[in-house]
Amino acid sequence: MGANPMIRLRGVTKSYTRGGEALVVLDRLDLEMEQGGFYALMGPSGSGKTTLLNLIGGLDHADEGQIWIEDEDIARMDGPELAAWRAEKVGFVFQGFNLIPVLTAQENVELPLLLTPLSRRERHEHARLALELVGLDDRRGHRPSQLSGGQEQRVAIARALVTDPRLILADEPTGDLDRKSADDVLGLLQRLNRDFDKTILMVTHDPEAAQKARAIVHMEKGGTLGRIEPLEAVRP
Amino acid sequence: MIPLALVTKNLGKHKLRFVLTVLSLSVAIFLLCVLRSLVVALNAGVADAAANRIIVQSKVSLFVQLPQSYGPRLALVEGVEALARWNWFGGYYQDPANFFAQFATDPEELFDVYPEIQVVEGSKADFLANRKACLLGVDTAAKYGIRVGDTMPIIGALYPTADGSAWDFTVAGLYESKRKSVDQNTLFFHYEYLEKSLESGFASGPGGVGIFVLKVAPGFDPVEVMSEVDALYENGPQAVQATSESEFQAQFVSMVGNVPLLVSSIGGGVMLAILLATLNTMLMSAREQTRDIGVLKALGFTDGSVSGVLFLQALVLAGCGGLLGMILATASAPGIAAAIGSMFPGYQVTRGTLLEAAGATALIGVLAGIAPAVRARAMTVIDALRAVR
Repeated sequence: MGANPMIRLRGVTKSYTRGGEALVVLDRLDLEMEQGGFYALMGPSGSGKTTLLNLIGGLDHADEGQIWIEDEDIARMDGPELAAWRAEKVGFVFQGFNLIPVLTAQENVELPLLLTPLSRRERHEHARLALELVGLDDRRGHRPSQLSGGQEQRVAIARALVTDPRLILADEPTGDLDRKSADDVLGLLQRLNRDFDKTILMVTHDPEAAQKARAIVHMEKGGTLGRIEPLEAVRP
Repeated sequence: MIPLALVTKNLGKHKLRFVLTVLSLSVAIFLLCVLRSLVVALNAGVADAAANRIIVQSKVSLFVQLPQSYGPRLALVEGVEALARWNWFGGYYQDPANFFAQFATDPEELFDVYPEIQVVEGSKADFLANRKACLLGVDTAAKYGIRVGDTMPIIGALYPTADGSAWDFTVAGLYESKRKSVDQNTLFFHYEYLEKSLESGFASGPGGVGIFVLKVAPGFDPVEVMSEVDALYENGPQAVQATSESEFQAQFVSMVGNVPLLVSSIGGGVMLAILLATLNTMLMSAREQTRDIGVLKALGFTDGSVSGVLFLQALVLAGCGGLLGMILATASAPGIAAAIGSMFPGYQVTRGTLLEAAGATALIGVLAGIAPAVRARAMTVIDALRAVR
């Protein structure tokens, strides 16, 4: 791994209790991912891919271990600190898009900006630019129900990048899309990584989608790390 | 930071549900205002009673007449400045449904004992000079379109005429009352007219006097005057009971039952039902927004902000219903007062009633918002995002 890791995990363990029994999802995981990388996280069901993504994104707490994102150990943060950290440092893209149905595309993208000191006019302008970047400037006034799945996911990507985070976490971002829409979304993620230097970690089951990344991180059943497979062919 | 746009847009998401909940809340708050206003109207006379007036009635019951001969003797009690006889007439205007109070009284003493009665149209002198004249409250005059100079036929239910015809009173003046101790619905006429009519056989009915109203002279203690009055007829021929005007009014209110308790029970039941309905609406709404809660938290909104969205939704919903209910109650007050003014003189939706209604509205909003807000606060991002939309 390079000398400039963006993400460093040391001895991260996470288990859940199901039916009275402890189920270890991640077992003393060590991992490093470099700044500006585009990683596809693959593995069989139950290998802890989404759990790992949630821990790196500060959506969940590890039982043990350290999770360093740049120079902060987020495993030591409490709820409000994590919320503030998420608002500033991470953009999320979910499989089910997770747009707020009662808000327009513009309002959905503006939502994270409410947590910034930007003025109303600035928020509006930033959201407009983000939607322009994902090619949906003409759909700003549409609600999620008036958009196609691919368009919804592009709005979600615009929402993820509108605060200009350095890290974007995507959980099966193409899982609910047809091939054409999936390719559009993956192309957009590639562009964010290449042109805007965003570090992207993407969970996927789709080998074709994984091939768009710069490296594939393989997870093994039982929550251990498999091999990391560099994909030099897609590097710019 | 609470995303306020979400509050209004979530409420507007299910328009029919929103409208129905607001309407049910508004009906409840409207009813609360009306019921409270009825109690306020009933108690207005008690609250605004004069401290220097004493009511003397039969110790047996308010419905037992006192002998005429008591009047001159009571007037001699030390501290009594003036005295007026009052006798319930119990008639109606044209139709039994047109009910309002009529009293036979001593016209000159009436103005002396009740300085709050002010003739605003017509002439006090005409009222005093003409034995068949009457003084009519402005509210009743407005209700039936009666003007000064009109003849007002009253059917005497308690004092029927021999031939069944109406008593004809000439409206000599219209009065307003400067205090709520006297309402603006009553018809006053000459006691002498009633007395002579009974003597001549023109009409029949109970003789005697319903109550004597005494005005206590300045510097005298009304309690001592009451004691002296009570003692005067302690051994008969008919014992009397002297009470302060406020006590008398309170006793009169209690004759129709424990209205405040009844009203509070009805109002409380309505409020509880509406609270449960609103709580149900808010819980349904919160459940539908579970995934949104997860999204907001994932984006960095704090637990407090997210629960604040749901709490504000409940407050806004309750506020809309409450405000509409208060507007309805205020707007309908003149109509209600006109319809039931004779039973509840002085009916009006007071500022105090509106404040109580606003308090009830806020309470419903808070109680309906707490459960969804607590649930949203406690929910983890992961659990919220797993929810099926």
